[in-house]
Amino acid sequence: MSIKTAFVATALAAFALPAFAADYVQAAGSSLTFASKYEGEVFTGKIPAFATKLSFDPAQLATSKLDVAIPLAGASTANADRDDTLRGADFFSIAKFPQARYTATKFRSLGGNQYAADGTLTLRGVAKPVTLTFTWTPGAQPVLNGKATVKRLDFGVGGGDWADTALIPNEVAVSTKVVFAPAK
Amino acid sequence: MMLRNSAERWGPVSQLLHWLIVLLILGLGVVGLIMVELPKSPRWFWVYDLHKSFGLTLIALIVLRLLWRLVAGAPKPVPGTPHWQERVATITHGLLYALTFAVPLSGWLYDSLSGLRPLRWFGQFKVPKLADPSQALAPVMRDTHEWLFWALIALVAVHAAAAFYHHLFKHDTTLTRMLPRRRAASSDPSPVPEIH
Repeated sequence: MSIKTAFVATALAAFALPAFAADYVQAAGSSLTFASKYEGEVFTGKIPAFATKLSFDPAQLATSKLDVAIPLAGASTANADRDDTLRGADFFSIAKFPQARYTATKFRSLGGNQYAADGTLTLRGVAKPVTLTFTWTPGAQPVLNGKATVKRLDFGVGGGDWADTALIPNEVAVSTKVVFAPAK
Repeated sequence: MMLRNSAERWGPVSQLLHWLIVLLILGLGVVGLIMVELPKSPRWFWVYDLHKSFGLTLIALIVLRLLWRLVAGAPKPVPGTPHWQERVATITHGLLYALTFAVPLSGWLYDSLSGLRPLRWFGQFKVPKLADPSQALAPVMRDTHEWLFWALIALVAVHAAAAFYHHLFKHDTTLTRMLPRRRAASSDPSPVPEIH
């Protein structure tokens, strides 16, 4: 190997190695849930068909990014009456807005394996900042355990007759567990 | 005034309970049939809450009424009533009591099974749920509640028709003994002389 070739190879390696975080896609075992209250009684919902793409490296937070597609048609709270209302015009209005989306490019370390993503949730045609805090468990199949608080009225979810926060609080607790596999 | 029932007449307590329950059954029925057509919005949930609160009240009243009947007794059938009519009347009354209890109870069960909202009796206290929420059983209980109601209404119609038959065609006291005394012509303090 000539000195020149060695130099080029080293330069290429130096350029390629530190630049980008690892790419992941969502694997089986992932879940996205939300919890709220009606007149003080807790109910929970699932959004089964969400899909996550993540580029993440704890050492490369600046180049990390998260993109979650959240189709709302399958949202379910285990009660047909409530689900009809949830999918209807007063809440998710899925006929007009079939999918929500969460994207984040700003990541902060909160110490240990805890991180925060300051991202944007687009829901019911409204885009607003929402922070996702999560723990990152590295491995062959890394796991993200995250929580976020979504103010439903910021997005017009449950407006009109349902806007009364004594009936349904403004803050909806969202939890997610995403199991990742390396993107091919 | 005698509060209890005599062999000839219903006393004021039984009369009050009887007519209160008539009002509740008819009122609950009308509201129940109308409320399901209202938009499913918190703006109208007070109608459901009133229906449920009055329905629970009906359960309390029918229990009270049966207990009072045990204490105070019941008038005998008017003299001259054929035996088969007595039997039919007894069965009808038993079914009326049973359904007046079962219709609101099935409504309470339906409320519990649907598991949507807490139930507060006239906003005062939280009413316990009778069953865990069930998406499979809730519609069954909904239909049961409605069909029991229609069965009750059919029986009420038979019961009222029998009372009017006695009053209009047999000219006996079967109907008037369930009415306050001043409306009962037979006990008017200044009776019109009758020709015998």
